[in-house]
Amino acid sequence: MLPSELLAVRKRRGVIWPRYARLSDSNLEVANSLIRVYQNHLGEKKSVVKEVIDEIEEKGYDYRFVRGLSFILDRRSRFKCNDQINAIDLRRKIYHATGKLGLPTTTEQRTRIIKAVASELEISPETVEEFSYADLETELILEEFGPLSPLELLQDYNLSLTQTLLFDSTEVTFTSSSRWQEIFYTAKKLGLIYDAFQDGGFWVKVDGPASLFKLTRRYGTSIAKLLPVIVASPGWSVEAKIFWKYTNEICDFKIESSKHQALLRKPKAATVSFDSIVEEDFATRFQALATGWLLRREPEPVLAGKHVIIPDFSLEKEGIKVYVEIVGFWTTEYLLRKIEKLKQIDEDMLVLVNKNLACEKLANLEKHARLDVIHYKDKIPLAPIIHHLEQRFREVETKQVGFVKDLPIVFTEPIVNYEEFAARIGVSAEAAKTALTDKAPQGYTAMSNELVRNDILEQVKKKIEEKVSHERQLWLSEAIRTIEEGGAKDAVSVLKTLGYKVIWHGINSEKAEVVKAWKN
Amino acid sequence: MIRLLFDRGTLLLKGEVGTPYGKWDPRVGCYRIKALHYRDVLSYLKESVILCQDEVPNPPPLQTLKDAVKLRPYQEEALSKWRNVGMRGVLVLPTAAGKTFIALKAISLLRTQTLVVVPTLDLIDQWRKRVSDYLGIKAGAVGGGEDNVQMVTVSTYDSAYLQAEVLGNRFMFIVFDEVHHLASPGYMQIAEMYIAPYRMGLTATYERSDQRHALLPTLVGDMVYTARVEELTGEHLSPYVHDKMYVDLTPKEQSTYDKEMSVFNDYLKKRRIVLKSIDDFHKFIMATGRDKRAREALLARNRAIKVALNSEAKLSLLAKQLETHKNEKTIIFTLHNDLVYAISRRFLIPALTYQTPKEERREILESFRRGDYKTIVTSQVLDEGVDVPDASVGFILSGTGSTREYVQRLGRLLRKVEGKRAKLVEIVSKETMEVRMSRRRRQKRGEEA
Repeated sequence: MLPSELLAVRKRRGVIWPRYARLSDSNLEVANSLIRVYQNHLGEKKSVVKEVIDEIEEKGYDYRFVRGLSFILDRRSRFKCNDQINAIDLRRKIYHATGKLGLPTTTEQRTRIIKAVASELEISPETVEEFSYADLETELILEEFGPLSPLELLQDYNLSLTQTLLFDSTEVTFTSSSRWQEIFYTAKKLGLIYDAFQDGGFWVKVDGPASLFKLTRRYGTSIAKLLPVIVASPGWSVEAKIFWKYTNEICDFKIESSKHQALLRKPKAATVSFDSIVEEDFATRFQALATGWLLRREPEPVLAGKHVIIPDFSLEKEGIKVYVEIVGFWTTEYLLRKIEKLKQIDEDMLVLVNKNLACEKLANLEKHARLDVIHYKDKIPLAPIIHHLEQRFREVETKQVGFVKDLPIVFTEPIVNYEEFAARIGVSAEAAKTALTDKAPQGYTAMSNELVRNDILEQVKKKIEEKVSHERQLWLSEAIRTIEEGGAKDAVSVLKTLGYKVIWHGINSEKAEVVKAWKN
Repeated sequence: MIRLLFDRGTLLLKGEVGTPYGKWDPRVGCYRIKALHYRDVLSYLKESVILCQDEVPNPPPLQTLKDAVKLRPYQEEALSKWRNVGMRGVLVLPTAAGKTFIALKAISLLRTQTLVVVPTLDLIDQWRKRVSDYLGIKAGAVGGGEDNVQMVTVSTYDSAYLQAEVLGNRFMFIVFDEVHHLASPGYMQIAEMYIAPYRMGLTATYERSDQRHALLPTLVGDMVYTARVEELTGEHLSPYVHDKMYVDLTPKEQSTYDKEMSVFNDYLKKRRIVLKSIDDFHKFIMATGRDKRAREALLARNRAIKVALNSEAKLSLLAKQLETHKNEKTIIFTLHNDLVYAISRRFLIPALTYQTPKEERREILESFRRGDYKTIVTSQVLDEGVDVPDASVGFILSGTGSTREYVQRLGRLLRKVEGKRAKLVEIVSKETMEVRMSRRRRQKRGEEA
């Protein structure tokens, strides 16, 4: 973040955007020479460093650009006071001497005072002169400098520039692809209020309590501090309202990762950390079971009325999603708030509550249809969770089976693959299969993977019978070819339906024989 | 149950009820109200016979006060006028007329949790000392690295603004020292985000050039008392004389000045720019961001001004003047820090700028008060309200055209001491625009007073 006088922007027709430093050769060159100034002036006074930077500025670059870079480099530097002699103590001695000997209005009088102080401290008069203001900012010594690459400097500058513009923002609306927990946590810590909504993605509008009464830049600083967290994940987009005080107008500002990611410095990605050992332990054990349910940590937020909940986990299988929220340690107030929030959720939510710390209010939770509560002690038990998942899966499946059965659909195609059909109507393949095999649609026969139209089946039947009666011996490979020519893929199932069985003479299908099931 | 809560500088009314002072907030699903209207909401609910649990205030514990404040008659009058209007209002009194004492008396009458908001860190120290001397308790402080809330707490405007979210519900009485600051777009939020039903504003300079003082009646209360410098001069304040001395720039300074100014003027002429108002000047400054020539012109002008303000000739004259006033308590004012340090080094006297460490600043002011130091040099830090009772001579070596600054510097020297005759000397470079700036300082004063 830069001082506001270094903020360089363009503004046209109510749209405002920072003058980003392009990552061009000439800008990289300027960045590089500035970095070198700091590296080459370790041990020198700040005023000397600034003089050299002034020279670079005078070569004709935008002074805000050069000073902005220098400002960022200052932050990476450590300036130290030359403290061989304490400047404040030294000054006190000088002032007291002046008070005693009288204010010097001639050079001689002045020298007399300096000498008096020098001899009192047993140092030279020159040292007195040199150290009397060693603690002024311009006199500080550049002691340490944390180097970075010219590219990083430009990206740092661009991020700072964006944040500086956001100082004057009244609200911001954004989306991102992950790290929601961190985003909301940061927003909350910064005293902001968020309002989430779905609009071709999960969007969040952020401002503060007093924003309700009037447009205010009060929360601009907090919004600026939130920015690095938002742009840390790919797929972000940020839109802000900027109050431009110089012209007294509200301007639009918009940046998005597809266009601006390269320009901005990306904060170091935080490693996925678990809030608690309990969660981590649960995730590890669950994944080891290989249940077919995909476990995701910190899934996309869920809207709960006016609130947003980022569940600890989501478990997904064939389009069925169950959220898991682990309530570990809590106070009654926290729990009540949580229950209030959870009740508004219109999603499958599994709540795991530590029984050691449970309270009777949780009974209310259990009454809520889409909310299931599992109590635990110390360690989260997997069995009831998997039981729940399976039950939920079956419930959903039963519902889907009923749905498929009731579908007023008339098939015409020769072959209907369950999986493809299921995908088309948005149910699980298993549900489609159950529904269609239970009661095959008229004119079709259900195989284990597909429906085959009866006339096709009839043709196949004829061909197979011919082959069996002519050649007396039919190899499986030959039978499969015949069936597949008819369009069906589920050859073994078709053969079985037609009353044949396969006798294997080894593992080679060429040597497997198809015979009438009642033979032998 | 209907509940009234404090939420980060605002109030929330929870329950199936609304209020004309609030606004429906769809983000949280209830009415939200400015903290400023705390008193109004409570009385609305009471009048409407709506039972409500007030969970707003979170005040620090009360302490027992002593009251050693004796008011002068005009101070009494100011205080009683304020009490007659529901203890919300602004008192306008000239610098050195003892505004602080009126506020201290009000605190001792109300005996409630009080926040005093002041513009500078020095004033925090000064107020705390007064509270301890006259009310007999240790005041808390917020700002300048301190964060200690007590029954009476002193804060800077900056900290009161920044911490409104957490401090807004902790005080029932709020005193705005130098209240004209409060009308700025940022600081006015202090008035809006604090619940304090009792409010007092104090200033010597009520009006602002941007006219925003019109907001003060809503934020603090009406102007209920005003006394002019002239009315109190002689009786309660020291009389003063004002003197102006001109110096010629040295030949070398003059030629640098002329050269730099011609760069600036040539640019204006070429671009046909006329700088008549502050607005024109702002536009010009904005142009310096885009236009390299404009930037060069501006820098040339700044260099020219610096030459005029920091002229060696001025320092020689200052040396002579200091010689004449050797035994009097003297303050030297300048605009630029560079000049403060140049003067400090040359005359070996204490310098006060924003860079002076807090402890050292305190020590210098204390020694100056005691008389161990006779002369100090400062940039703008002493502009407001720090009390240096018996300084009698002031030198203005350079300043802006601001009227307020001028009046306040004058005020430094007007503290009541028997038989004192204060003297304020301006040292101005001849043949430069500084002459005009100095004239503006004095002219405007007449208008505003």
